[in-house]
Amino acid sequence: MTAEILSASGVTKIVPTSAGELTILDGISLEINAAESVAIIGASGSGKTTLLGILAGLDTPSSGSVLLDGNELTALDEEQRAVLRGELVGFVFQSFQLLGSLTALENVMLPGELRGDSDPRSEASELLRRVGLGDRATHYPRQLSGGEQQRVAIARAFASRPKILFADEPTGNLDKVTGARVIELLFDLNREFAATLILVTHDAPLAERCQRLLELDGGRLVTETRA
Amino acid sequence: MRLLLLLRLLARDWRAGELRLLVTAVVVAVATVTAISLFVDRLQAALLSESSTFLAADRVISSSRIIPDEFRVAAEQRGLETAETLTFPSMVFSAQRNQLVSVKAVSQRYPLRGSLRISDQPFVQGARTDTVPARGDVWLDSRLFPALGLAIGDIVTVGVADLRIAQVLTDEPDRGGSFFDLGPRLLMHIDDVPATEVVQPGSRLLYRLLLRGDDGDLADLRSTLDEELAKGFRWQSIRESSPSIGDALDRAESFLLLGGLLAVLLAGVAVALAADRYARRHYDHVAIFKTLGATPADVQWGYLTVLGIIGIVAVSVGLLVGAGLHLSIVGILRSYLPLELPAPGLKPLVVGSVTGFVCLVAFALPPIMNLRRISPMRVIRRDLEHAGVSRALTYAFAGCGSLLLLVWYTDSWWLTAWTLVGVLGIVVCFGVLATLLLRGGRVVGMQAGNYWRLALAGLQRRHRESVAQILIFGLAIMLLLILLLVRVALVDEWRQQIPDRAPNHFLMNIVPEQLGPLEELLTSRVDYKGELFPMIRGHVVAVNGQSAAQWESEHRHPDAPGPRLSSERNLSWTTQLSENNRLIEGIWWGEEEVEPQISVEQDYASSSHLSLGDVVDFNIGGISVSATVSSLRRVEWDSMEPNFFILFSPGALVDIPATYMTSFYLPADEKRFLNDLLSQFPTVTVIEVDELIRQIQSIISRVTQAVELILALVVASGALVLIASIQASRDQRLAEHALLRALGATRRLITGSLAAEFALLGIFAGIVATIGAEVTAYALQVEVFELPYQLHPWLWALGPTLGLVFILLIGMLGTRKLVNSPPVAVLRELD
Repeated sequence: MTAEILSASGVTKIVPTSAGELTILDGISLEINAAESVAIIGASGSGKTTLLGILAGLDTPSSGSVLLDGNELTALDEEQRAVLRGELVGFVFQSFQLLGSLTALENVMLPGELRGDSDPRSEASELLRRVGLGDRATHYPRQLSGGEQQRVAIARAFASRPKILFADEPTGNLDKVTGARVIELLFDLNREFAATLILVTHDAPLAERCQRLLELDGGRLVTETRA
Repeated sequence: MRLLLLLRLLARDWRAGELRLLVTAVVVAVATVTAISLFVDRLQAALLSESSTFLAADRVISSSRIIPDEFRVAAEQRGLETAETLTFPSMVFSAQRNQLVSVKAVSQRYPLRGSLRISDQPFVQGARTDTVPARGDVWLDSRLFPALGLAIGDIVTVGVADLRIAQVLTDEPDRGGSFFDLGPRLLMHIDDVPATEVVQPGSRLLYRLLLRGDDGDLADLRSTLDEELAKGFRWQSIRESSPSIGDALDRAESFLLLGGLLAVLLAGVAVALAADRYARRHYDHVAIFKTLGATPADVQWGYLTVLGIIGIVAVSVGLLVGAGLHLSIVGILRSYLPLELPAPGLKPLVVGSVTGFVCLVAFALPPIMNLRRISPMRVIRRDLEHAGVSRALTYAFAGCGSLLLLVWYTDSWWLTAWTLVGVLGIVVCFGVLATLLLRGGRVVGMQAGNYWRLALAGLQRRHRESVAQILIFGLAIMLLLILLLVRVALVDEWRQQIPDRAPNHFLMNIVPEQLGPLEELLTSRVDYKGELFPMIRGHVVAVNGQSAAQWESEHRHPDAPGPRLSSERNLSWTTQLSENNRLIEGIWWGEEEVEPQISVEQDYASSSHLSLGDVVDFNIGGISVSATVSSLRRVEWDSMEPNFFILFSPGALVDIPATYMTSFYLPADEKRFLNDLLSQFPTVTVIEVDELIRQIQSIISRVTQAVELILALVVASGALVLIASIQASRDQRLAEHALLRALGATRRLITGSLAAEFALLGIFAGIVATIGAEVTAYALQVEVFELPYQLHPWLWALGPTLGLVFILLIGMLGTRKLVNSPPVAVLRELD
């Protein structure tokens, strides 16, 4: 039986603007099971990224609740959410978000170091080798191509040993061929780590590789398609 | 967060140049303060020790009564060195003539500071000696030789004792200490005094116990003897005994401290700007840390550790640089500083370290602490604006830090309050002024066709940042201008204090019959202004019918400084107020014959609690005179002209026999004139103050050099602020220009518009700085340094020019590399 790892109920996000209040998400409810892969799709401005942020505990909803691995995120403060992120969640971003002042290896070591692992280096080296960049460990992000940087980011995401992996437009900054390779790697590792994958994308073929598609429009969940 | 990770990030940030500005700003603050403190500490110690030679000791206890032996014992128990002197006027006799002299009898260890000079012939400079006259011997002032017709080896009679003239006394350190106790000097051994039998009850005696040693021990002695001292003993330090030197030192101290604290405030602004920039460049880092599980507390403690490490490193480097800087200052000034600097204490290093950490906490902590509030959402929403640190919090921290440092350095709430009020007022006024200057011609779009319009449009678009920059630049330039103004005023004032040909010789005891021939001689031979002052000795016996002793005990605090009401003093009368006297209350009597009136010097009046209308009774040589206080005067004692605490209206003292005094200027190489003068008028007393004046002038010129040096250090701090604030706005400015270049703007247009932007900022900042400087300098000079004030037209040209040149130069240097880089590289670096 597959257990539910993430659920949202009536999640609404309203932000103040100079023209009055703007509703970005409007009463979103969903459930995601462990090891499931889910794509969140929709036009620009539909609220995909905001939803991802709230589901991952990076942001809080104006109303509604989010249950992540049994933890009610809206009841936690930033301190507690950060601990939870460190334990459960991995991220891959469109703009890679590597620290420019650290080498590829050091970037991958970061989650282990923040957790206080005794030997973050060997695990990071192994992951870097796994993504095919074992020989680029001492290179800085600016010395790597976009695809290579995203592979480092993927290695770092799995260094968190995540139960759930959030990916925000992971191929958005990559060409088609490189993007395809990166996605292959992402899905491979995801299977290997038996993690849940939630990704936000514009890329239809990528979305279709997921088991389920959630489409947003104007902040509402309009369709839910099972692959 | 793990220390290793933090250290690694710190090392990377350092290599990438992210920390350089922050560390440099702290280093400069610490180095400036350390260098100034070390130098000032040593210079003050040296100046004070040199100035102590005017007292011939560090402190002196004086009295007309015998100083109890317990005082000496108590001093020696504290490890203080002691010496005793006894000064009294007496007639001395040679075979042919007699002369009133001021006898100083000294113990073996006199003087404790400075040295005596002696020679075997009169009117030469003589050589230093560390002995005093042996028992049975006396040393005489040069002018006594012609006056008494004596030579070395002859015998003089003091009281009933015959003493042999062993040397000519050409200089004594504490000669200037008490102006009018001086007749020509006769120095003898204190153990010979009983044999002279001149010390009788009622004699005019001045006993002094000289003390030398550690400041703490001296203070301890003073507090122990406090009760005893109140019973008619006076505790003197250099500041009390020689007001003009005390004033110069006080002003120099205020100035150096002010200079030091301005340098720190400037460096503080640089620290704040650099820390803010550092924090902003770490927003993304923090967001990533947070997505990876770092808690806000982790972030906070992590960055606090980073700040702590930066602090320790920067403060250590700052101390080293400061010490080095101070050594090179001492090296440079060695040839100008003939005085030997004592070894510095630890205090300057403590001052430097505390300054560094206070600077970091006050100026860098708010933006760094704020990092904990960065939203992790930033990793997916780069456009997410972070509100930045609360302004109120930043200002409160910076304000408290500045206040703490200001009070600590100046030890004066008054000076602190004035400086802070000045700076705050100026911030507000500058903000308004800068806004007005920028609003001067609002334009739409980027105006990318012309340097000046492009630059102005850029400044207006970034209105808030531009106002802030004009404010910061303006403040930095203003501080420099203020320092320059105050320095100019101080140095001028000091130079004017003793004009070049100020009278340096006084003649006293001139009897009326000598006036004609004496004036003739003076007019023909020396620089003589022709001012004669009658002089009569007398003392106050009662005020408003109450005895002087009772009046004093009721109205005067026993420790109050300044002259005592009932002491015997020189009185005079005049119809005209001399140049260095200013009436501050009451009416001057002028030429008319009036009821007996007196005009009283303001400090004497206030310490003796005398006011207009009080009736004061005097005993003048046994005759009673009563007069009403009709005016109060402010006297420039520094003028070196004859001045009196009490002046009578003409006619009030007409029946009382008076002698006269006058003064003239005599260059050092014409000292032999005194020989002729004294041969012709042997009863006239000459007082030479040329050496005293020379000493004061040399101290003033040294203090001036120190002041100039501090100015240079403050200029360095100012430059740092400019660099920091240009750095702080560099990214935004460069992003715009890189975009323009990408769209086809030529390098010439970009360079031109950058130059125009910095030039405009410089000129605007210069204008506001000039206005601010005039206002603040007015407040400082009039209220703090008590100097007169006038507007400075040259400042209005200097301020904007300085702003233009300074900011243009530093701005163009700061952006040079990036103007020459391909636009894509610039945009990528800024991403």
